[in-house]
Amino acid sequence: MAKPKIKPEIKTETVVAPAPQWNVVVLNDPINFMGYVVVAFVSVLRISNGEAKKLMRLVHEEGRATVWTGDRERAELLALELQQWHLSAILEADA
Amino acid sequence: MPELRLSMTKEARTVLTDLLRLIAPAAARVSVNRARVPEGDPEVAAFWTETLTAQASEEARLLAAAFAQAKGDPAVIVLRNEAQAHAFLRALSAVRLALRDLVFPDITDADLEAAGELDDESLPTEKRHALACYTCFGLLQQSLILQLDPEAFE
Repeated sequence: MAKPKIKPEIKTETVVAPAPQWNVVVLNDPINFMGYVVVAFVSVLRISNGEAKKLMRLVHEEGRATVWTGDRERAELLALELQQWHLSAILEADA
Repeated sequence: MPELRLSMTKEARTVLTDLLRLIAPAAARVSVNRARVPEGDPEVAAFWTETLTAQASEEARLLAAAFAQAKGDPAVIVLRNEAQAHAFLRALSAVRLALRDLVFPDITDADLEAAGELDDESLPTEKRHALACYTCFGLLQQSLILQLDPEAFE
């Protein structure tokens, strides 16, 4: 006796992967003054003076700090603006 | 925001103006060369290079004009708003970076951080002169930063 053919039901679902995040990282440099870096952070990142000082200290003490994380386009723009302030800003894909 | 003022002696102005004439074109080049342009997207890389080149040239013009217009003794540079002050700060940073890269790449970072105290007579005269100017440009930057934020260095 022939077995009834059963068509397996296959459900598909589209899962949208979250857009990759990018970090804007500022590296320490021996040329620019701490106060200068704070002014640059406030101007480019639109953060408060206190937040800018915290980030500046991280850069100074750790040698680097992630100052912003988000989509690539905005990260590129911020990194460019920080480089216009002559800071060593780089882009890194968020792990 | 009230206007910001940077004062220097007439002699300092003359010396710094002379140095700027020499270093400003190179400062623009150094600023672009130092930039970390993202790899992998030629369009983005071209846009960055173009933007940084244009800005570097503008900064060189701004500095030249500001020092040329600073007459009197003491010579005073007047910056009328925050945007001008920020542009001037960036321009001074570009010049200091260029001096560091082109004139004294052999001096360690630690020595450079105390450049004001670095008056090594064994250094060639031109290098000592450039170091003094590097320090002066730094003092102008610090003065401007303190006017923008009196607690900046605390």
